[in-house]
Amino acid sequence: MNAGSLARWFVVFAFLVFPGAAFAAAPLDIALSADGRNPPSPQMGDRLTFHSVIRNTGSAPAQGLVAWISLVRVDAGHERPVDLEDWSALKALTRSAVAPGERIEAEWPMRLIQAGDYRVVISAVDRGAVRVVTSPFADFHVRRKPVVESRRILPVAFGMPFLLGGIVLVRWARKR
Amino acid sequence: MNPILSLTRKESGELLSSGRGLAWLTALTVVLSVLSLLLVSDTELSLLDNAQVVYMVMGTIAALGALLAVVSGSDSLAGERERGSLIPLLLTPLRTDEIVLGKMSGQVVAWCVTYLLSLPYLWAVGGGGQNLPQAILALALFGTPLVLGFGFFSLGLSARFGNVRTALSTSLVALALLASPVLLGPGLRQSAVGRMFDAVNPFSAALNAFDSVVIDSQPFLAQATRFAVVLVWLLLAMAFAGRSARDMEI
Repeated sequence: MNAGSLARWFVVFAFLVFPGAAFAAAPLDIALSADGRNPPSPQMGDRLTFHSVIRNTGSAPAQGLVAWISLVRVDAGHERPVDLEDWSALKALTRSAVAPGERIEAEWPMRLIQAGDYRVVISAVDRGAVRVVTSPFADFHVRRKPVVESRRILPVAFGMPFLLGGIVLVRWARKR
Repeated sequence: MNPILSLTRKESGELLSSGRGLAWLTALTVVLSVLSLLLVSDTELSLLDNAQVVYMVMGTIAALGALLAVVSGSDSLAGERERGSLIPLLLTPLRTDEIVLGKMSGQVVAWCVTYLLSLPYLWAVGGGGQNLPQAILALALFGTPLVLGFGFFSLGLSARFGNVRTALSTSLVALALLASPVLLGPGLRQSAVGRMFDAVNPFSAALNAFDSVVIDSQPFLAQATRFAVVLVWLLLAMAFAGRSARDMEI
């Protein structure tokens, strides 16, 4: 039996054994766009909003839908996924079922914490999916703005009370 | 030694060499340190613009300076009375006005030390941002008459009431009222009452000048009206203190 025949037998076997599983997964389509009211040249501290539309384009309901937002930094030398902890309170949405043809619209607000070039993407899976479905990327750049720098504050914030506290202690010790 | 210089030395020495004065200065740095650490540890605050942060710290320094002036002023004459040292003080060759000025010299030193201690904090939060030198100058220009005005005012109350607790509580209520713009942003003071209050309140005048100079990069000349308000406050408080000290019952 060659490899092609074996694969065909495997598909038939899987279809018979797992009728409601992978091959019945509803196809999902995700559109992503930036809100028209977003600042054209956002800087640190600004808020952006993205809109996503998740559509079930298949003929079967999508059960147990989970969609989530991901953010990656892409400027040279700083490529990394971003922990959304400070950026966004809404990190995922869930639906128990999405009927065929139904659209799920969602808003994804975001606070810009750090300067750089970013790509945002919405991903979704349903219970029967064999692979994740993703939206197109939405790219944006965050401008730097002068904010408080911890490397300057920490020495002063810890040094000054210790300095004065030390003077008080020395005087107190001398008096005793 | 000139009696007025002697009184000045005594009053300023109490701040710089007494445990109570040093404890206050340490507490002042702790408050400013906690505020500074909040500014870098809190996500919302850490994203504020440098100039906005410098403005916040300037307001806090002015409020702390005024608080020290109120505590010190309330104790000045009523405290002497309660400690039984008022009559010996009045028996010195000093006139009442000179006693008031001598007492106030301690507050001038206290404010100068507070100001100097606050400079590293202003540099720490505002270095690399806009208008830091202007902020340092504005704090001296508007903060000094504001803080000393509170000192004279509470000294006047101290003379009138003859009781530290009453003078201090009354002064603190007045300080809480006048310093409320530190907590209430400009947006919350836009009502007719808020605007009227802002127009005559020396604390509002100083804060609005800080805002204008540091955040909006406006020239100092544009702050003439606000400077007049804090100057009038200082002169009125001086007159009140002088009158109260002269009318003081022994």
